[in-house]
Amino acid sequence: MFIKVRRDTLIILMLAFILITSGRLMSYMSYASSTESEQGIPIAGVIVKGNDIVPTDSIRTNIANVGFRTGSYIQGNTLITSKRKVPLNEALENARQAAMLSTVPGTKATPIKAVDVKLDKQTGILTVNVIEDFSTVEINQVG
Amino acid sequence: MIQNNLQRILVLLVTLVLLVNTSAATCNMVIITDPTGTDPNGAAAGSMSFADNMFQSTFIMSKEKHFTVLSGGEGNETPRLAAIVETIKRLNNGATASEAASAASSYSGIRVMTGGPTIGAAVGGSFDVYVVSVAGDGTITATPASGGLATLPAGQKGAIIHLRNTHGNPQYGTAETVRQETAIMIGKMIRDGYPATEILGAAFEEVAKDSGEKYGGGGNNLVSSITSGDMFTPAKLNTTGYPMDEPYSKECPVDGWSIAYPAAENYQTCPYDGTALKTVYAYEALANKITVTSNSTTVSVYGTDAPGVYETTQEIVQYSVKKTGYNSATIAKSINNAIDNGLLVGVNYIEPKDINIVENTRSVGVYFKPLPDHRTSPPWNLPISTSILDIVGSIQTAIGLILIILVLFRSTLISSFLKKRR
Repeated sequence: MFIKVRRDTLIILMLAFILITSGRLMSYMSYASSTESEQGIPIAGVIVKGNDIVPTDSIRTNIANVGFRTGSYIQGNTLITSKRKVPLNEALENARQAAMLSTVPGTKATPIKAVDVKLDKQTGILTVNVIEDFSTVEINQVG
Repeated sequence: MIQNNLQRILVLLVTLVLLVNTSAATCNMVIITDPTGTDPNGAAAGSMSFADNMFQSTFIMSKEKHFTVLSGGEGNETPRLAAIVETIKRLNNGATASEAASAASSYSGIRVMTGGPTIGAAVGGSFDVYVVSVAGDGTITATPASGGLATLPAGQKGAIIHLRNTHGNPQYGTAETVRQETAIMIGKMIRDGYPATEILGAAFEEVAKDSGEKYGGGGNNLVSSITSGDMFTPAKLNTTGYPMDEPYSKECPVDGWSIAYPAAENYQTCPYDGTALKTVYAYEALANKITVTSNSTTVSVYGTDAPGVYETTQEIVQYSVKKTGYNSATIAKSINNAIDNGLLVGVNYIEPKDINIVENTRSVGVYFKPLPDHRTSPPWNLPISTSILDIVGSIQTAIGLILIILVLFRSTLISSFLKKRR
């Protein structure tokens, strides 16, 4: 042996090792069992309900374009996206407007007449309820 | 003199009609094999064409009311759109197929085909169709019709197929015979008991190969509300969609691994087990997509857009359904097991109430609760509170670090300590 180590040194080192490991483990356990996060609530998903003829994907894409997409998160009353920060009520209004602009694919017909947007601040799930009405669809003469 | 004029006018009219018709050249079909609406594959509809712009607007489907509206694909042409909207409006108000399709007559040169498992099928406006009906004793009747209104009454097994050639199609002029042949084939297949969705695939194959009206388009399963969506539709305005008679993907018959064209060109065998790959043509892919089979379950995943979750959940649910049937408790248990095993990451445990089962269309919806902060597994359920653990853990780490420092400077410390004592 090049380095002379006394036995009690070894024991102390071992003790320190055990203490640090179990301490770190406990910190991890506290992290793993905690439910809230510091960064804010991420936008987890968009659930679209009530659409019949307009495909869910079209509506979802439009909603994603106004900021409710993967990677965005809510902090307090602000929606933080990869592009900018928007007050939450403004963002929800944008989402409402965007959903109304969803079209029947390949046309300019926008049959969605009423939209209700609800955000669950606990889970980050945005629920979009839409009502389609084909009796009042305006057909753009400009086409 | 008058006769001469009359002839000229006639010629002019015929040319006009031809010109109008070219704008509506396409292939539409509605097939109903179970008018009661109980067979999950009992009614199907689809559109394709040689022309551009066969977007989903050419094969619209109502998921709730189980009807379809088919038309030709001419971009944003206003009258076509008006006719479609009018038809949907009428169907939403509970009109029969023929009442709804007659909306097309008020717009010149427009064709609208509509249908549903229980409302029958109808086509209105400008068209060339065969109405196929199959009686209970297996008698097939195929009646040609063109222009005005043609109906397949509700409660009747049968089909309506419209086919016209688009100008510029190299196989121009084949529509007449192919329409008839396909109609007869559809009739025979209905008689032999094939489901509507498979017949749609077979009919698409025949029309695409023999008449050249081959670009998707797509199809709908009207009972189970499955659409091929944008699988075959064009990616851009004024372009054509996917040719329905060409290979769409390659698939391993053993483990189900598959790859889409054009990348599939480079693969001959399955990378996992080395079996030769099977080529899936677009019409087969269409039929597979919209057909509900006894061992397949349509799975919808809500609440998370994380990659991979949908696919894994689908596998788990299908396995669970195969083993224990449509039981939300066992499905929830299988999913929670998968979360425990790390197969599904980024989502929280689910409860049986988060699973929505519609047994007659074999579909299962799973509502996930995603985890915050890019976590991969659900929070642990510990009896000790988080903050106590955190504090104790930090204290222990600190003590450990102090001990190490003590050991390192042991001799110095001890000697200085001893010096002070003396």
